[in-house]
Amino acid sequence: MKRTALYIAALLLTACSGKPDENAVKSNENIRIFPDYTDVVLPRNIAPANFMIDNEADAYFTIISNGDIKVEKKGRKVCFSKSEWNSLTDCCGSSIQIQVYTETDGQWTSLAPFSISLSDDLIDRYITYRRIPVAVEAYEVLDLCQRDITNFKEKIFFSNTMVQDNSNGTCVNCHHTGNYSAGKMQFHVRQFKGGTVLYFDGALHKVNMKTDSTMSAGVYPSWHPTHDYIAYSNNKTHQSVHAMSHDKLEVIDEENDIILYNIRENAVSPIETDSAELECFPGWSADGRTLYYVSAHYDAPFGPDRKNRIFIDREQLHFNLYAKPFDPDTRTWGPHYLVYDAAAADSSMTWPRLSPDGRYLMSVISTHGVFPLDQIASDLFLFDFKKGTARRIDEINSPYAESYHVWSSNSRWVMWSTRREDGVHTRLYFSHIDDDGHFSKPFALPQKDPEFNRSFLYAFNIPEFMIEPITVSAREFAAFIANTDAVPAAFESKRETNEKGELITTDYRVDGRTGASQLEYNDGEMYLH
Amino acid sequence: MSSTIRKTMPVITATAVLWIVLVFTQKTFLFKNADLSLFLFDWNFLKESFLVPGGFLGWAGSFFTQFLYIPWLGALLWTILLMTAGILTVRILKIPESLSLLAILPIALLVIANMSLGYGIFIQRVQDYFFAPTLGYLLMLAVMAAAWNAQKGWHTAVILTVSAFAGYVLAGIFALAGVFAAGIGLASDCGRKNRDRIIAPVLSAALCIIAPLLLYGLYTRYRIADSWTMGLPTVSDDQWTAAVRLPYHILIVITSAFALAKGFFARTGSDKRHRLPLQAGIAAVAIGSVVLFWYKDENFRTELEMSVAADNFDWEKVTDIYRNASERHLNKEKKAYGKRQTELKAVQDASVYNDILKEYEDRFFEPTRLMVMLRDLALLKQDKALDMAFRLRDGGRSQKSRTQIPMAFQAARQLYLNYGLINMEYRWCLEDQVEHGWCYGTLKYMAMHAILMNETEFAAKYLDKLDKTLFYRKWSRSQRPLSADSLAMSKALPYREIIPYMSFDDRMSNDRVKVETYIMKHFLEERDKQATHQFDCAALLWAMRSQNIPMFWKALSQYIDTATEISLPQSVQEAIILYSSLENTDMGIEVSKKVTDSYAAFQKYIQRSGFRSEKEASFPMYLRFGNTFFYYYYFVRGLQTF
Repeated sequence: MKRTALYIAALLLTACSGKPDENAVKSNENIRIFPDYTDVVLPRNIAPANFMIDNEADAYFTIISNGDIKVEKKGRKVCFSKSEWNSLTDCCGSSIQIQVYTETDGQWTSLAPFSISLSDDLIDRYITYRRIPVAVEAYEVLDLCQRDITNFKEKIFFSNTMVQDNSNGTCVNCHHTGNYSAGKMQFHVRQFKGGTVLYFDGALHKVNMKTDSTMSAGVYPSWHPTHDYIAYSNNKTHQSVHAMSHDKLEVIDEENDIILYNIRENAVSPIETDSAELECFPGWSADGRTLYYVSAHYDAPFGPDRKNRIFIDREQLHFNLYAKPFDPDTRTWGPHYLVYDAAAADSSMTWPRLSPDGRYLMSVISTHGVFPLDQIASDLFLFDFKKGTARRIDEINSPYAESYHVWSSNSRWVMWSTRREDGVHTRLYFSHIDDDGHFSKPFALPQKDPEFNRSFLYAFNIPEFMIEPITVSAREFAAFIANTDAVPAAFESKRETNEKGELITTDYRVDGRTGASQLEYNDGEMYLH
Repeated sequence: MSSTIRKTMPVITATAVLWIVLVFTQKTFLFKNADLSLFLFDWNFLKESFLVPGGFLGWAGSFFTQFLYIPWLGALLWTILLMTAGILTVRILKIPESLSLLAILPIALLVIANMSLGYGIFIQRVQDYFFAPTLGYLLMLAVMAAAWNAQKGWHTAVILTVSAFAGYVLAGIFALAGVFAAGIGLASDCGRKNRDRIIAPVLSAALCIIAPLLLYGLYTRYRIADSWTMGLPTVSDDQWTAAVRLPYHILIVITSAFALAKGFFARTGSDKRHRLPLQAGIAAVAIGSVVLFWYKDENFRTELEMSVAADNFDWEKVTDIYRNASERHLNKEKKAYGKRQTELKAVQDASVYNDILKEYEDRFFEPTRLMVMLRDLALLKQDKALDMAFRLRDGGRSQKSRTQIPMAFQAARQLYLNYGLINMEYRWCLEDQVEHGWCYGTLKYMAMHAILMNETEFAAKYLDKLDKTLFYRKWSRSQRPLSADSLAMSKALPYREIIPYMSFDDRMSNDRVKVETYIMKHFLEERDKQATHQFDCAALLWAMRSQNIPMFWKALSQYIDTATEISLPQSVQEAIILYSSLENTDMGIEVSKKVTDSYAAFQKYIQRSGFRSEKEASFPMYLRFGNTFFYYYYFVRGLQTF
């Protein structure tokens, strides 16, 4: 009995003194940590990059240092307090050195050390995103969240569960801001209590952008950088399941147009509405004088068969990148022109997003179609207007889908959603871009519990950077949405010039379709937008 | 025998009887409840429960519900909790011996709430409904006891306030109900100061209104209007939700009434007049209600048993359960048939004739479509489908439930997975978890999907979750090596039985929430050149199910193409002779004499029988020709699938 007690005490003592000594053996075994922060570049103001060690061992000991600052951690999960992390990142050194020791059968081993570089390019303090269960048609809980990425504070600024009831579902999507500001925001509420919710001039507004002359309400937004306009796509979306593929889902727009919403006048006007073109994903240039968008040529006849036809033809849908000049003062459009012929390479380009410094345009390139999120082959693609180059960003792409990227306000950081961790759940990743246009190794949004991304069964999508916190509370949003009817937007015609600069009158027709509802559930098929 | 024992004896007896009944008659139902729930030994899982008021109650409830995996143990835990609730009801509410059976009323309501749900278990939307309300009732009693035992008025006020706020966060409406009942009880307590008797109920009523309103700012998961129903079970159908919640509303009203009657109980404690009739009346109400509302549909029970066996890939058991269910009451059916025919003989009027047929409908066995689907699947897996599927009874009886629960929510994942339609299985796992939350079953099927698709990281996500469970950990650990080794996986069960059905090209598809029609369409219209013989067996089975003659000939030719030896099963021969005769063609396929004779006998009997309708003829024809495809073709028609 005594011996057993002594043995247990000795074991406990050994366990408690878990620290490597000078006899630790050097190992060539690669360190495997999750999330992978090895050799990444982090902004100095990011939240602690907590991680867990995946190498199997009985005990772990980690030394993290930057110059004179040294932090020691025991255990598989390496989590920093705020002060520890601040001392590591605020100090003058440009990188954090990390040495991990593992103990197996009483023998300590030092694994290959790694470092984290620190960038003085600070990242915008806030991000927003939609937290969504992975599903096909059903949804129950959809949260719009704001996260302070200098720490771990997350706030749900609106959730559909605050409005919907047991039998009337409400969908929320596409939170978007003007100039990264909390004073200019919009998101869509679909179905029950539906409308586009706008926040500007310190007040909430709810608008129904579906008019008799547009096929749907506004969908994918891009807020004009200098004027009170938002460009939207109109989409008539369908989805279908792949019977046997790693790509589980196919989302296709049967019809697309692009419209401009004039916030002050609560009016929409057409931008591109060619019935043989599927125009989508508007994105403003930094000066607001050019609108980029993507479009695929598709001229199957309109009718009940078009929806089935387009699914059959899905691999022939190649979206090219176009640009269209715009005079924001007179709201006059110039003729569009082709920027990148993705179709020529049997590819499809989507989601053009311009950096605020005007140098870059980042987009997603995939094999076909308009919804890269559900295509494993989707990669990020960069146009560097200064260098005149266009390339797939191999240094940050993964074997899985990349999508919904966004630039930070200083054009130094990119955030996007990626499925690289398990192929299904989208997670937010970041990368730094240097003066040469080269991206650093991507890193995951730090989480308090480093295991979070592995265990969390929701996905994150449509992330946005913000420079200030949202001031409207969830309760205010909920009360407003529940108690306010959407104000119908008026319809205006478009002002456009031809190649010679002459003003032309457009015989306007929205692909010949009117009267589509915003969101319908029809015989098991969800019309998303 | 002491007074305390006498007072609690009815509760102890009732719960002991309940345990025996549950263990002997509801094993599968109890197990299925466990399978549809989830409890993870994980800090984040606990934290997530605090996203709604009463979420902690759900967390605690799901802790207990996991033990229903071993039905006798789960049932024992539940009945112990019910017994505790009953004993505490007697003690806290000071129920006198002469009315001691009143304590079984709350138990009866909690039993009714769980055992009346039937198909509702597939559309529940709370973390736990089985144990959580029982725990909620215990908390309600605890709040009352704490408030009533406080010595000073301000102590009571503090207890009520803390119970309202903290209790609401933990247990939702049950804590508020406790506060409310405590206030009512204090008002009727003659031993208290008049001031306290006024303040306490006013305070408790005010707290019940104010606490949810003030706390709403902490939450984003529900509407403010739903604040006073948090913690109560919900199903994804409004009317059904109201019905599901009714027992709990009655429970709260009854407990509050008991609290109000505390003074009366004290006065009548020793009054033994009318004791026997009163106790008998209470017992009759309690037992009668439980028996009346206890969901007893045999098809539901059979479906559950078949479904659990199918989850274990025990195909022989699936078939046996079906066969037992269809043959169990054959003698009773024969008697009912005799009686019905006697009544029909005397009837000339068509509407009376139809009324009699309808009246007797329930006395004859008819399976639900899901039972047939599971049976066919099991027969296919045993390579007996084309021999046996049309020899067993068939049909499409509707579910006995408030609304028809789509098969998609009941069994899409197991049907699709086993037919090799694994992306559709993935889709319905996701839809189901979004609508009704994650459960062990869904996690397991998601993992199997990922393993079949060689998606190792994705499989790990779900296996990691199951590693954190008590009863599914072993399964999860057994699958982990397979998720990283596709060769080992392809040789292991159940995967090796599924892979042959995955012999088709990718295409876009949507089942429009109709599982059976989707599977039928898949096998009839989507055969590709790499189809295996297993695929063609299924295609031929579905072609015969469809009663579509051109489809049958096409499927038969494909079946013969991929067969290694051509020995046509009896049902297929019957289809050949029947369809050849109907189309007046000779396909040149040899049919045995036994089948030819059987068809001749069938035709002869049809011509001679004097039945006035197909419905009337169905049962006697089944007795004579129920083991033939001819019977299926002529008498199993117009089925509806959900």
